[in-house]
Amino acid sequence: MRHMWTVLALVTKEFRQVFRDRNMLRLIFLMPFLQLVILGYAVDTDVRRIHTAVYDFDRSRLSREFVRSMSAGDYFLMSTSDRSVLDLDENFQTNRFNAALVIPRDFGRNLENGNLAPASLIVDGSNANSAGIAMGYAGMIAAQFNRQAAGLAPSISIRQKLLYNSEAESVYYMVPGIVAVLLTMITVMLTSMAIVREREMGTLEQVMVTPISTPAFILGKTIPFAVLGFVEMSLALAVGILWFGIPFAGSWPLLYGLSLVYLFTTLGMGIFVSTITSTQQQAMFFAWFFIIFAIMTSGFFAPIENMPPVVQHMTYANPLRFFMRIVRGIMMKGAGVNTLYRDIAAMVLYSAAIFSLALMRFSKRHR
Amino acid sequence: MMDYAVVIDGLSKKFGAFAAVDGISLKVEYGEIFGFLGANGAGKTTAIRMLCGLLQPTSGTGTVNGFDINREYEKIKPSIGYMSQKFSLYGDLTGRENLQFYGTVYGLRGGRLKGRIAELVDGLSLDEFIDRPTGALPVGWRQRIALAAAILHRPRIVFLDEPTGGVDPVFRRRFWEILYRLADDGTNLFVTTHYMDEAEFCSRISIMHRGKIVVVGRPRELVASRGLRNLQETFISLISEQGTDG
Repeated sequence: MRHMWTVLALVTKEFRQVFRDRNMLRLIFLMPFLQLVILGYAVDTDVRRIHTAVYDFDRSRLSREFVRSMSAGDYFLMSTSDRSVLDLDENFQTNRFNAALVIPRDFGRNLENGNLAPASLIVDGSNANSAGIAMGYAGMIAAQFNRQAAGLAPSISIRQKLLYNSEAESVYYMVPGIVAVLLTMITVMLTSMAIVREREMGTLEQVMVTPISTPAFILGKTIPFAVLGFVEMSLALAVGILWFGIPFAGSWPLLYGLSLVYLFTTLGMGIFVSTITSTQQQAMFFAWFFIIFAIMTSGFFAPIENMPPVVQHMTYANPLRFFMRIVRGIMMKGAGVNTLYRDIAAMVLYSAAIFSLALMRFSKRHR
Repeated sequence: MMDYAVVIDGLSKKFGAFAAVDGISLKVEYGEIFGFLGANGAGKTTAIRMLCGLLQPTSGTGTVNGFDINREYEKIKPSIGYMSQKFSLYGDLTGRENLQFYGTVYGLRGGRLKGRIAELVDGLSLDEFIDRPTGALPVGWRQRIALAAAILHRPRIVFLDEPTGGVDPVFRRRFWEILYRLADDGTNLFVTTHYMDEAEFCSRISIMHRGKIVVVGRPRELVASRGLRNLQETFISLISEQGTDG
């Protein structure tokens, strides 16, 4: 009972301090908006509207038809360049064009005679990912054009259907990721800083000389940041759903419940960082290092499957990896415990291990 | 045995090869204002932090209020108050908010807590400053509020580490008047200082130099035994006898 009052007093004190620090408050509540809006718009991995310069040296009916079919989708924006084909470098360097289609003379005649009709697509390869996607589109369009020109019935037709994210919007994929990243950042950083700041200011010593119990202290120091973490997460979700219109397929209680489990990992990490550092700069550095590692190997930007095998194994050391899959699974696919149990089990283990480690390392008395 | 507020025997604290406290022994009875004297860096703060359960001793034993400082250091805490050299209340909270926080941590609540805070505000004349953020207050007032926080739970012993550092003489005098009143009410005070005029207010003092206790006794007897005029001269003569090269 007495411990409960102590925890309450610490939580009250902590909130008073947070709300009295204007800069901190601004950071805490602006961060989710900025992150969402910036990442939501900037990290658009969809490849569309590739500016393509057309050099049609054939000027035949078929060459014009081919150009038209290239521009039919939303993929290529075809226009003629006022520069010579020899000045391609300049066009690419100024980013006026990112691709060029060169149709040689006799393209139409060759095609009509049933000969091979080469045409070149030259793509700016500095972004290997979008270049590859552009090449893929062009190949598909050319194949279809071939069949039409030859009057053949399509041999194999793949009807594509995207499940879960049917418009293939990368923002639908990013927002759940941002939610997971935000929760990690805010709780690890704020918890470690809040404890280390007290050590630096000398106020921690005054608390340690009281009969406060270690669990009461840890709870009182972490509950406020768990609450702030949930507020951040809810803000991010609200912006994602109301502004970006992302769908939410799964169960809300499951998402929040599992987030609470995950918080033991991040809060534990925050406490752990505070036990190995003595200044706010050091704590900031350690927290930053953990967060960068966690984000990079979580599959937030690049899919884990694309990583080299060694790095893929390293990702298992990252608790955020599992939480990321859980959040995306629940939000995008409506996944439940029956399909997420492996990730949940891994996350529970991490939470238990990291939080216990933090509790063991935290001591009221200096050695 | 149980009559002693503080007993220490061969207490040491080493940081690497450096002995900050080097085998000190001491007995402090209840009812004393004990002055723990020494120059800066003599090891006073380190010794106090071991007595308060903030720092683990390297070797030696001791008790505070009858509790072992090596094993029962958490049991010591409810019955002691501690005011550190550096102001260590929350600067962004008001004095009252600080007192409410510490009061609750020490197990005071509701009417009892309110009453106790009112009593302290009255007794230490804090009413003008208690509702302002402590970080913005003049040093003298900050220290009074820090004292209020240290005695909020009516501890049997209060450890005060340089409580009047950086405070003007008028404030220092008033602060000591408050300490005297506390002692009269039965609180035991364990005070470090390097102001010799303050040391004369103590019933007994010890002088520490380079981690060791050089002498213990009543201020007047110490002065007399050396045939000197005042404590200041006694202190200097004792310290120079120890030599500077250790």
